[in-house]
Amino acid sequence: MPDFISVQDAVFDYLRPERDPVRAVDHVDLTVAAGRHVAVLGRNGSGKSTLARLVNALELPTEGTVVVSGYDSRDEGSAWEIRQRCGMVFQNPDNQIVGTTVEEDVAFGPENLGVPQPEIRRAVDVSLAAVGLSEYAERPPHLLSGGQKQKLAIAGILAMKPRCILLDEATSMLDPVSRRDFMDMVVARVREDGITLVNITHHMEEAVLADEVVVLAAGRVVARGTPSEVFEAVDAIRSEGLDVPAHMEIAHLVAARRGVPLRPGETGTPDGAEAAVLRVLGATDARRAAEAQAAPEAPAAAETAVEAAAAPAAPDADGEILIDVRGLGFTYLKGTPFANVALEDVSFQVRRGEILGIAGHSGSGKSTLVQHLNGLLRTAPGVVRILGLDASRGGDVRAIRQKVGLLFQYPEHQLFEETVRGDIAFGPKRMGLPEDEVARRVAEAAAVVGLAPEDLDRSPFELSGGQKRRAAIAGVLSMRPEVLVLDEPAAGLDPAGRDEILSYVSSLRAHGATIVLVSHSMEDIARLADRVLVLDHGRVLACGPVRDVFSDEAAIARAGLSLPAPAAFLKRLADRLPGLDALRFTAAAAADAVLAAAAGEAPC
Amino acid sequence: MLKDISLGRFYPADSPIHRLDPRAKILATVVLMVLVFLANDVWTFVAYAAFSAVCILLSRIPVVHVFKSVKPILFLIVFAFLLNVFSGKGEAFLTLGPLSATWDGLWTGLRMAARLTLLIATSSLLTLTTTPILVADAMERMMKPLQRIGFPAHEMAMMMSIALRFVPTLVEETDKIMKAQSSRGADYDTGGILRRARGLVSVLVPLFIGSFRRADELAVAMEARCYRGGEGRTRLRVMRLAPRDGVAAAVMLAFSAAVVWLEYLRAALP
Repeated sequence: MPDFISVQDAVFDYLRPERDPVRAVDHVDLTVAAGRHVAVLGRNGSGKSTLARLVNALELPTEGTVVVSGYDSRDEGSAWEIRQRCGMVFQNPDNQIVGTTVEEDVAFGPENLGVPQPEIRRAVDVSLAAVGLSEYAERPPHLLSGGQKQKLAIAGILAMKPRCILLDEATSMLDPVSRRDFMDMVVARVREDGITLVNITHHMEEAVLADEVVVLAAGRVVARGTPSEVFEAVDAIRSEGLDVPAHMEIAHLVAARRGVPLRPGETGTPDGAEAAVLRVLGATDARRAAEAQAAPEAPAAAETAVEAAAAPAAPDADGEILIDVRGLGFTYLKGTPFANVALEDVSFQVRRGEILGIAGHSGSGKSTLVQHLNGLLRTAPGVVRILGLDASRGGDVRAIRQKVGLLFQYPEHQLFEETVRGDIAFGPKRMGLPEDEVARRVAEAAAVVGLAPEDLDRSPFELSGGQKRRAAIAGVLSMRPEVLVLDEPAAGLDPAGRDEILSYVSSLRAHGATIVLVSHSMEDIARLADRVLVLDHGRVLACGPVRDVFSDEAAIARAGLSLPAPAAFLKRLADRLPGLDALRFTAAAAADAVLAAAAGEAPC
Repeated sequence: MLKDISLGRFYPADSPIHRLDPRAKILATVVLMVLVFLANDVWTFVAYAAFSAVCILLSRIPVVHVFKSVKPILFLIVFAFLLNVFSGKGEAFLTLGPLSATWDGLWTGLRMAARLTLLIATSSLLTLTTTPILVADAMERMMKPLQRIGFPAHEMAMMMSIALRFVPTLVEETDKIMKAQSSRGADYDTGGILRRARGLVSVLVPLFIGSFRRADELAVAMEARCYRGGEGRTRLRVMRLAPRDGVAAAVMLAFSAAVVWLEYLRAALP
């Protein structure tokens, strides 16, 4: 089959005024045969988005060649030919919709190509049906959910009858459920129509769907192969700051600790990994019997800082109640035909020193709930008491906001001061603190999130994405709130960035902070939280210690959520390994549990 | 906080007026604007009001809703009325200190108030029965001949339609930023002007920076979808004049003739 995309020894330098150019793509070769599905995996800043832009002729290579469908991107007029055949979906759903209605937007591409009107009509109808948005044809796009907006973007490309679709981190702003839904739809469409798919992503869950995975780091290709070939090198992938499917990582850890090598390709699927774990355990049973008195095994080396810091959490059931929510309800546009019940009869407490996770899928009421926790929305009906202050109508909002720090999603979008220092100081200054106290708090907050002192005098807009996020978090920490409410603090970050932010969260808890962590990542909540509250359609579906809530699989499924991946894999093994404690939420802890069960030890 | 903003107060309904070609409606609105300024005779006003009433009834939009659009300029109407009442010449029927209201002024004032009210009522009928995007689209098509002399008709229409597309997005974003800054202690409602202005900076700076980022990303996304200006573009939405547009044109023509007759010819006849 001919290569649809052929990138030969491509180099791309971003030119910067008065500074050395930055090399984003460094001698990359990439060939994609027509009809193949290739995932390009890499951290933020690994050059993967630049590579996508090179393929779509949005940028031209500094050196080397990019040939798509026979057109060399540097030739006159070839950009137009390439973009007709190769559609691209970008990261931010909002910033790629042009039309004021759904169907207008789908028509935008064909209109640009000068397709005759009756054909545009047909293409629009077919494409909207293909992505399942037919019933929304005349809606204004801002009324769609994030996942629907990305499907709209796909429809806009399908209407141009492309030979190839490039996804440039198209799912990174979606929640896990919408992400799956979106990817399933895209994969089905491209299979059906024989379209080439290049998915640029940092989510390994998506990379495993591909025929081939290419891993980029610092602008270079560092690994390529089938998903199981690439992810089998668990340690190498981990060291690139990427995730590995839980079943592969657990099998890898168990095998390493038992000293039994895995066979190539063995752990590619959860079934394979299950068999591999059992084989490894079986192979060593005989040896183990002989070594019954041997010293206990060393703990797994792969344990990350997050896991280590999160481990010694002991929820204090008798701790002082800081936030007390009773019978809280909230309806948007109350009294109009558009009334929309966001919360109904929600009651829970937050105790000093604990991390309470709030889980739920998009639209379950999580964001509405957290806005009640610092007086941005007022209660009706119900009572919210925060450190003894009444946050219902008439309460002292200023005092409440100083005690409860609220970090919104994508908080870096709210930076505004000339320097990072000024931005972090905004809150304390508003509290009317003296200069020296403000300075002390700025330094302290910056240190907690790991911002270097020299960064404090830079403009926040010069910082990298991850640093901006940290500066924004410091802006809330500097108010020294007694309770910290974090709404999806890791949204949009790559796995290493996520681990870094979550490690701050657990180090804050080590300093005695009380934290409410809102997330749709079950893995993050299970790793960090002591207790978890599951919201579904504005109601509390479950609330209690993490282990209790996750042992009620039916309730989790009813909320449209799934067990954390390591626990889900252990559930499969539990039938074959009596006494296995399946409620382990990190790969390292899961491997420990498997080994403990195999050794016949009681679960701890 | 800002959830209730409605832009272009399009009132969805299925009526003969809604179904008219937007170009026909724009032309008719222009003609009606000219006519209302020609009006002087009381019978012209009566005829005009009757004609507007019929149009409103045909559009199936509640009359109250149409007059809501007059509300914002009610002050202007009252002011213009009073100004005329007290600045007319002739016999006074009321004297308040140095001011005297004349019969002559009262009639002029009434005419002025009626003119403004009718003007707003008829022109709001256009925006009530036509979505903003259709108005922009129709403008583009009507301006097309001007493109030959360098008038950027397509670009204007594209700018307008992108603006319309992003208003709700920016409203949402403003709301989010305001909430985030309030939870850091920003205060938009109390304190002196300086304090409030400072509060606004904390909203406007991120909003502007966000808008530039959006503009940048949107431009790339448009390019990736083969956008390169109006040249050679086709459109999903076709505007084709229908028989009903001919009927509307005939009605407008007849009404214009009637106004001209009422204003100029009737007086000339014995």
